[in-house]
Amino acid sequence: MNKQIRAITEIDRVIHEPGRLMIAALLYAVERSDFLYLQHETGMNKGTLSSHISRLEQAGYVEVVKTYRGKVPQTLLHLNSAGRKAFEEYRRMLKKAL
Amino acid sequence: MEDLGKILNRPKEYQNIDGVGELSMGAFALLYALLLWLQLHTPKTAIWHTMYALFIYWAAMSLLIHFGGKAIKKHITYRRTGYVEYRVQRKRWIALTISLGTAMLISGGLAMAARHHFSISTPFSLFGLVFAAGYIQFALKVHWKWIVFLAMLAGTLTSALLPADALDRMADHSHFGSALSSRALGAFWLTWVVYGGLFLISGIVTFCLYLRHTQAPVQESR
Repeated sequence: MNKQIRAITEIDRVIHEPGRLMIAALLYAVERSDFLYLQHETGMNKGTLSSHISRLEQAGYVEVVKTYRGKVPQTLLHLNSAGRKAFEEYRRMLKKAL
Repeated sequence: MEDLGKILNRPKEYQNIDGVGELSMGAFALLYALLLWLQLHTPKTAIWHTMYALFIYWAAMSLLIHFGGKAIKKHITYRRTGYVEYRVQRKRWIALTISLGTAMLISGGLAMAARHHFSISTPFSLFGLVFAAGYIQFALKVHWKWIVFLAMLAGTLTSALLPADALDRMADHSHFGSALSSRALGAFWLTWVVYGGLFLISGIVTFCLYLRHTQAPVQESR
């Protein structure tokens, strides 16, 4: 029982937040995607999505590249190896806790 | 955890959000049926029986489907609902090996059937069920596609129960080898037409619904 409780406290809080969990899960399943795709899939507004991405970027989980698609600016996002490991670890811990 | 699994599957479902997957399959089946028709109904000396013409036709068909799909993605899908780059999966090699093994088995079966003059028009008609089984993945995600799945089953049954004369007429006076009966060739051709048509219709409906329910944002920014 103690081990289970400890497992809950060890969960990565950066990923655990529902919005960021959604973003991390979507990025985990692909190589990279753009901001528009995440907005479409998560249904979040630009501001909320942007703040979640910044938090993941600060944690060193997501790499953000700003580029252009023709004349339109495009923000490409990629879950790096640290982010992938953190996400896998989060799933493992969650399974353990449940 | 189940919800997390669903989210992880979302990008896979996104691949056919615009119906491009079905459009590609439909175009492939119908273009192949067209080639088969040309081979069945032209003299043996016609261009459609030469290796280089076949090569050019296959190359043109592959390029059209590949770049056509890419163009729809680039100019419509990515602008409306975003860009996704998929991870290269090791499972592709498994699928390729299974496909190769299946193709070899079918070829062996065909060669045996031709040698012993077995009647294979019904197995050819039922071959379409493989496509129908593949289509279940689309129907599980979008419920109206069960109608297309039922149409596939109905098409398969209809072509399997068609009178022998009708199938014979489809490949009548065929110059396409002498090993297979015109009835078997007719059943084979009809299967490609039925499934190609249904995939194409399903793809067009999906594409139209996608256009109706999505709009390109004025400008993406973060």
